[in-house]
Amino acid sequence: MMKKNTDVLVIGAGLSGLMAAAKAVAQHKKVLLVAKGMGALGLSSGCIDLWGYQINQPDKVCTNPLAEIAKLVSHKPEHPYAKVADVLPESIDFFLQICHQNKISYLNTNRNWQLPTALGTLRPTYLVPQSMAVPDLAEVKELLVVGFQALKDFYPDVLITNLQKNTPLGAHCHLKTLMVKLANQELNANTLAHLLEKQAMLEQVISQIKPHVLPGMVVLFPPVLGEQLGHEVTEVLSEKLGCSVYEVANIPPALPGQRLQKALLHHLKTQGVEVIIGCQVTDAQITEKRCQGVVANSNGKIMEISAQTMVLATGSFLGGGLTSQSNEIKEAVFGLPVKVCPGKWSRQDFLSLAGQPFHEFGVAVNDQLQPLDDQGQVLLENVLITGANLAGCNYPIEKCGNGVALASGYKAGKLVGEAGR
Amino acid sequence: MTQENRLALDNCIKCSICVSHCPVAKVTERFAGPKQNGPDLERFRLEEPAAVHPSIGYCSNCKNCDVACPSGVSISAMNAKAKGEYVTLHGAPLRDKILARVEQMGKASRLAPSLVNRLGRIKPLRVLGEAMMGVSSEMTMPTYAKKTFLEMFQPKKITASKDKVLYFQGCYVNYNTPEVGMALAAVLAYHDIELTVEPFNCCGLPLIANGFLDVAREYAQKNVSKLQQYIEQGYRIITTCPSCNLTLRREYQELFDLDTSQFNEQMMDAFEFLNLLDQRGELKVELQELPKRVGYHQPCHLKAAGCGIPSLETLRHIPGLEVRDLDAGCCGLSGSYGFKKEKYPISQEIGQNISRAVQELAVDQVISECGMCQLQVHHVTGAKVYHPIQLLAEAYHLA
Ligand SMILES: Cc1cc2nc3c(=O)[nH]c(=O)nc-3n(C[C@H](O)[C@H](O)[C@H](O)COP(=O)(O)OP(=O)(O)OC[C@H]3O[C@@H](n4cnc5c(N)ncnc54)[C@H](O)[C@@H]3O)c2cc1C
Ligand code: SF4
Ligand code: SF4
Repeated sequence: MMKKNTDVLVIGAGLSGLMAAAKAVAQHKKVLLVAKGMGALGLSSGCIDLWGYQINQPDKVCTNPLAEIAKLVSHKPEHPYAKVADVLPESIDFFLQICHQNKISYLNTNRNWQLPTALGTLRPTYLVPQSMAVPDLAEVKELLVVGFQALKDFYPDVLITNLQKNTPLGAHCHLKTLMVKLANQELNANTLAHLLEKQAMLEQVISQIKPHVLPGMVVLFPPVLGEQLGHEVTEVLSEKLGCSVYEVANIPPALPGQRLQKALLHHLKTQGVEVIIGCQVTDAQITEKRCQGVVANSNGKIMEISAQTMVLATGSFLGGGLTSQSNEIKEAVFGLPVKVCPGKWSRQDFLSLAGQPFHEFGVAVNDQLQPLDDQGQVLLENVLITGANLAGCNYPIEKCGNGVALASGYKAGKLVGEAGR
Repeated sequence: MTQENRLALDNCIKCSICVSHCPVAKVTERFAGPKQNGPDLERFRLEEPAAVHPSIGYCSNCKNCDVACPSGVSISAMNAKAKGEYVTLHGAPLRDKILARVEQMGKASRLAPSLVNRLGRIKPLRVLGEAMMGVSSEMTMPTYAKKTFLEMFQPKKITASKDKVLYFQGCYVNYNTPEVGMALAAVLAYHDIELTVEPFNCCGLPLIANGFLDVAREYAQKNVSKLQQYIEQGYRIITTCPSCNLTLRREYQELFDLDTSQFNEQMMDAFEFLNLLDQRGELKVELQELPKRVGYHQPCHLKAAGCGIPSLETLRHIPGLEVRDLDAGCCGLSGSYGFKKEKYPISQEIGQNISRAVQELAVDQVISECGMCQLQVHHVTGAKVYHPIQLLAEAYHLA
């Protein structure tokens, strides 16, 4: 049987696992990251939501999510933010610094953005990639929404029709749409993004848009402007068109989330983290309250990994961190108890505004992120829990998914980095 | 449809993560992608084999989809089976029949390897080959060695050998880069470990990738029965080619239902074995200083094996050596895939990531475990490309 030994083992390659590994290696730990597959980050918009709405008036968008989270912590102490609020600002700085180092820039204005989506709604979010940082639409005089005939799932007309209903646009704002025609019949988002990195293709696109551009115009595109990191398709477009160009959030697959995922993975590799994807942790060896090591299955081969500390960043149902069997829900690797809510687990109306209760399921932790039993006793001392695996948050309605993953991953990385000093 | 089949299909949550990680779908719209050709169409194929979509021929069998899938769906195996069905139903061009028979090509070239090499460099002939057979005239042909590995290797009896090790050398090392096998033999002998070799059949991967599953199954059965004999005698089996390794351990089981459990644990990459020695304190770590900077390219099938990058762990012992991971993903060649006229542009487009990374890191040497990756990395960058075991042998003064 193959054996591996490391200081820190991170299980999961979602945003929380990537952050934990990045922070741990920054503190000179030997870090191994294993994951069964890729996480939700590549499906997300690429924006980091912190907190969307006001605690006291949940139908109103909040401008300062940090202040709202401060209120939340006293109002709902079982929320994951209550365990990581102490490191929230520094975790954001650390994230921005890594992004900068890896040539993808994120903007932080210390307040929520309200970004238009492909459906013409506005979405509160906190850290946004530069390519998505659409300015306040109330100030915009000329708006052009560009789609591609070959790309399904992005309809400029839908976007502007809904936008007019949802957004206080300037009184004299003109909205226009345009469909770019390419030789290709049908393209998926990734293929189109790859094509748009070719200069000749970009010229074609520019030549079709250019005649419609007016001074001061803002042009919105689907999130497909380039595939690689550092490829400044957006910049070239805005320079050649002579106006501001942005990508808007759309249903997956969207490139900004994938670009971030790729940049963070690349960062880990250059920092010396060993990354193994396609490796599922199946079992754990536990004595007393410590985990000595885990057993993993890599494409049919068994591997034993021992580590001083472990970060469990396996996500919830999507990633496979939580599994449900008939009426029982368990954390999949250590068999930790999962905190469920009393009563119904789901609502009939899938998109109910009150949110689906099952999103709140997860592992309860103390403020060292160690897992707890229902009496509040620590179950495992050297295992820290992060991200969507944590109990008590309902990310789709609270708008906090990547924010919780970022801050909890950072905190776990910081704690394991300090351990044994 | 059996219950098991249904379960495997229902594991797919339609998240499309596989599509965004498929190097082929990224550069061409001619391929419907892993989700559609894999779990989506498998549902129909299980009821009606003729439902196989012709674009299945564009799957390069790189397995990036399997690695990325969060739900553990064996997409590439579904695709390989579908390709087999397609070839059974519609036949395959002569070109594919030739390209897939790597073992026979190797054997045939024995008559006059240098002549074959020279022919491979004559442009007008290559143009003819493209026009008549559909073999790209642009792609660099692998060169055949003067002597095969099995001819060169002199078995040495090592009394009190520390381990019983059988080497599955694979066609590429045997016919094209015997120096890789020789480097391995030297490194092991230096550690007082006797290396046993055996004329195996081709692992069958080129056949599988071209849809000739029946021939591949025959090879598989022969190889498995030989391997099992060695396992029974307490041998470990080591490989230097990640694709052979994965095919023997996984494809035989997934595609042909052969029981590989007996040798699954005992079969490992040469560097996994060396790292095992290291863990037992038996790896000699007095190595010559090699003050150079080389790039490293991880072959997709090594990534798919999920064992990390064992060579980088061993090479860390070499003083002065700086190895930089290109982290550029698939090289695009995928064995015979990039030699096909209609796929050559796809394979070159995928390979652009490699040239970009080599440029950025400003390295003029690259190491990589897979012979085909070596060929492609050289083809797209002009860099000197070789196997990491050769670097280790050099640091032991054995080269
Ligand atoms: C479609 C979608 C869109 C979203 N959009 C946004 C958005 O725009 N903004 C935002 O802020 N949030 C968004 N979210 C929420 C947010 O992305 C997630 O809450 C957050 O990324 C969760 O990260 P994580 O690291 O906890 O888990 P995940 O990303 O789920 O990662 C889990 C990881 O663990 C691995 N794993 C699981 N089990 C095992 C095992 N046994 N062994 C080894 N590895 C294992 C998985 O393979 C995976 O790598 C979105 C979520 C989804 C699903
Ligand atoms: S094996 Fe490679 S080429 Fe084939 S579908 Fe999967 S990722 Fe795409
Ligand atoms: S990644 Fe896996 S689960 Fe997602 S669509 Fe592809 S096969 Fe289905």
